[in-house]
Amino acid sequence: MERSSRPFGYGNGLRTLSVVTVIAIAVALGLVFFYAPLEAEQGFLQKIFYVHVPLAIIALCGFVLGGLLAIQHLRTRDPRWDMRSYVVIHMSLIFAVGTLITGSIWAKGSWGHWWVWSEPTLVSFLIIFLLYATYQPLRFAIEDPERQARYASVFAITAGAFVPMNFIAVRLSTAYLHPRVLGSTSNLPGPMALTFLVSLVAMALLFATLCKYELTAKHTRSQLRALRRRLSGELADAPTRPRSAVPAIQHAAAAPARAAGRPVL
Amino acid sequence: MLSVILSEVPALPLHTAGKYVAGAYIVLFAIVLIYVAIMAIRLSRIERDLGELLSMSERAGEPPASSAGQHSAEPTAGATGKQDPQPESTLA
Repeated sequence: MERSSRPFGYGNGLRTLSVVTVIAIAVALGLVFFYAPLEAEQGFLQKIFYVHVPLAIIALCGFVLGGLLAIQHLRTRDPRWDMRSYVVIHMSLIFAVGTLITGSIWAKGSWGHWWVWSEPTLVSFLIIFLLYATYQPLRFAIEDPERQARYASVFAITAGAFVPMNFIAVRLSTAYLHPRVLGSTSNLPGPMALTFLVSLVAMALLFATLCKYELTAKHTRSQLRALRRRLSGELADAPTRPRSAVPAIQHAAAAPARAAGRPVL
Repeated sequence: MLSVILSEVPALPLHTAGKYVAGAYIVLFAIVLIYVAIMAIRLSRIERDLGELLSMSERAGEPPASSAGQHSAEPTAGATGKQDPQPESTLA
């Protein structure tokens, strides 16, 4: 079979993306530890900044992206958009866990406490995290796949709109312990700014790679399930799917999608 | 080469906040490692499922297209779960 006639899959370009991600992370780590100067106040502890802040930015952007993909799902009723929204939110939640843990470590080193409840930036991020932590149980609670996808999309859009509102509200607040990174108060010197930008790009690439891995795995699983049904002589649209928080694939629509050379998620 | 690089780079002041910085970066490493482990479990499950499907198709008397060697120039195309329209049309 010629490569050009092979249908498109989520695995395409995954190897290249993975290699680029590994290189970017290696370069970022090199810059963090051997290029960026030590910060005058916090010293070596400030190195956490290069992992904590990119994690937080990518997680928040991922939540917003999940909402945008959910809008596409509601507009087109195409289950592939629901799957993408689900995967992006799922990955953002993992990045948010990383943000909370690295932030707590930084807080302990800098302020002497793992958590400061009076700090609006920390509490607002925790609220967003807890909000999105209900996304999977919400999906799991709804058995009908179509209704599940619709409700999950509405949730993703509403919560996605809440993220920038929350960000602005925190910026308007006055009581700060947490350092500002983006805005007029940030005056990172050149080497620090370059290191931060490379770290941010590396983290974005890691996010994209993990999302692509996840989509490829789910796509492959759905293809296997469809093939198993064909082999065992079941109907293509038979309701054999157990209850799951993972978006359902419309197998009846899979054949034309495959014929058109598009992935079916 | 490595010794030249190491002699040029500045020494890291690990004695002050080293444990906190190490902890933060270990968290990131652990997240990626856990994800890779989960993917490895999934991959082994997919491999097992593929084996089952292969034996099912053999029992049904229809050898899979990739093992029949009809049209695949790439030996791994049928074994990696990539889309292949031939088995679907013959197994339906």
